[in-house]
Amino acid sequence: MTAPHIYRWDLDKTYLQTDFDSLGALLRTALQRAADKENVPGSAELLRALRADSAGNALIYFVSGSPRQMRDVLSEKLRLDGIHFDGFILKDNLRNLLKGRFKALKEQVGYKLPALLQARVEADTGSGETLFGDDAERDALVYSLYADLLAHRVPPEVLEQVLDLAGVYPDGRELIHAALDRLPACDPVERVIIHLDRRSPPIRFEAYGPRVVPVYNYFQAALVLFQDRRLKAEGVGRIATALRDRYQFTLPMLLRSFQDTLRRGVLDYDAAARLGQQAGGAGVAEEIIEVFAREAREVNMVAPLARSQHVPDYPKLLQREMQRHAIEKARRKKRKRWL
Amino acid sequence: MSTIALDAMGGDNGVAAAVRAAAAVSLAQDTGVLLVGDRAAIDAELRRTRYDASYLSIHHASQAIGMAESPRAALQAKPDASLLVGARLVAEGAADGLVSAGNTGAAILACATYFKTIPGVPRTALAAVIPTERRRGPHDDPFSLILDVGATLDASADALVAFAHMGSAYASRISRNARPRVALLSNGEEAHKGPPAVVEAHRRLAADARINFIGNVEGVDLPRGTADVVVTSGFTGNVVLKMIEGISDTVMDMARAANRSRLAWKLGLYMLRGGILHLRNVTDWQQYGGAPILGFDHPFIKAHGRSSDRAIQNAIKVAAKAARSNLCAEIASTLAGKGGLTG
Repeated sequence: MTAPHIYRWDLDKTYLQTDFDSLGALLRTALQRAADKENVPGSAELLRALRADSAGNALIYFVSGSPRQMRDVLSEKLRLDGIHFDGFILKDNLRNLLKGRFKALKEQVGYKLPALLQARVEADTGSGETLFGDDAERDALVYSLYADLLAHRVPPEVLEQVLDLAGVYPDGRELIHAALDRLPACDPVERVIIHLDRRSPPIRFEAYGPRVVPVYNYFQAALVLFQDRRLKAEGVGRIATALRDRYQFTLPMLLRSFQDTLRRGVLDYDAAARLGQQAGGAGVAEEIIEVFAREAREVNMVAPLARSQHVPDYPKLLQREMQRHAIEKARRKKRKRWL
Repeated sequence: MSTIALDAMGGDNGVAAAVRAAAAVSLAQDTGVLLVGDRAAIDAELRRTRYDASYLSIHHASQAIGMAESPRAALQAKPDASLLVGARLVAEGAADGLVSAGNTGAAILACATYFKTIPGVPRTALAAVIPTERRRGPHDDPFSLILDVGATLDASADALVAFAHMGSAYASRISRNARPRVALLSNGEEAHKGPPAVVEAHRRLAADARINFIGNVEGVDLPRGTADVVVTSGFTGNVVLKMIEGISDTVMDMARAANRSRLAWKLGLYMLRGGILHLRNVTDWQQYGGAPILGFDHPFIKAHGRSSDRAIQNAIKVAAKAARSNLCAEIASTLAGKGGLTG
């Protein structure tokens, strides 16, 4: 039997619609019951479809920045959604508070990178990985860095630069180095899917190469996972149906999302054609298949931008992320000129 | 949910303004936008912009019509022009309305090529809103509608009567003004004042019970807001509109100059800033979302050539509102029910 494929998911703004942009919203989120928590449209359906289409050969892990005190309510939410998970890592924010590490409360590199690497130590060496995050923080950077560290594509001095910039504490650094020492060179990360919760411009993620795919909704994610042969045409159909029935997505909205993936080059024409061939067998109406096929043919008349995978300049990207964060903060404060 | 086709290649600010406007509308998640134009140029701009892919798509058109081009010649020479393709897509049902900040003449001709003129409309009319002292409708809108402002330079009595009905339908549907007051622009309130077409239109509108016709108004009544809908020929309407825009710009320029000149004036203006900002908002043409062309069987909003993304965004919203409220069907039904244009 081949090694199981691993899906690692962030929770807030990736799986759940969470608002922690203000203190009030943060408190509301913390006090919310499991049944009141809302999914990002299609997230639960996508996870269930990934599990179903893997014929039992998939592992699902959550790595979240939520505090450990929320484990019960979050586990209950996943149980209500019918998600069977294989691991759940939450942040020890109480420890950070007691140690006076206020920066660590929000910082992601020092938390997620060691958590991912440690989890990889325990994984089957043959397992591939698909990672899910969002654009609210630094998931694209952390996941890409994780992938390139595993493949030994990041020189030690560059890693140190990143850890210095991110202000990672010594114990976090130790965990990272200890995990790296135990891991053989491998290249398991085949895709990083970033849910554009804040609708960040796609250009923000281009520097990470085509492995990182920003998506506006989970229908787009389903299309990419079909292309990666992680999801069957039936699975894509189930996500589309769930979005239509439960989240008021219309056929034109799905069609526009489909066109967007083709235009941005994250779904190639061959995969779209393959989906068209298999969709009939999955019970999708012929006229709907034809509408999508026509769209694909029209988009294919203008070639999308060609992109190649390379190792990004991580220190530069982290600096840029930090600058962007500072600019956004300053913009909120800036008073408008009145005349 | 309605979908609005946007000519992405028209306007002085080019693709960038159109794409930013469409992207902003997509984020509101209540209207679909179909950007029509050079896909590579649109995509290049889009990747730098926040947008929602579920509400935005592109239809490639390989040609564009410049602002200075001769409308008829340009349309003949460029069959794949974004304006023509946009109008065709609306006529085919791919979108519910069209917006363009491009060449006005070419836009009207493109619509005339693919749209049908509503029965009973002898000429289409370009309408615009002007700021007024008086407020109307459920939202206390501080503006009235004036038409025509440039589509039909010399309007006949038939055309003026049709304009009155179209303007009335627009004000009731878009501004939610249940019974808009309609007036003819003339050089005196008396029924016999004005050129023969205005006098004849006055006679027929005064006898038409389906419309709330209040008679003639003069230039002085426009900023007061005596009428909710002001009917005139395209030549006069265009002069009036440009004059109002010029006054608004000049007043703000003078205020800025005063703000720079003396400390005492600067302080005085600062104390009046609430009122000045309100005045600027009311007179800001960019917030009114372009000029609807009335008389076709599909909504078309002509945005100003120098429209910013905000102005185009508002034009899309107006087009969506016109589509949602079945404005064109309402105009057709009004004109069909009024028993013809000759009286």
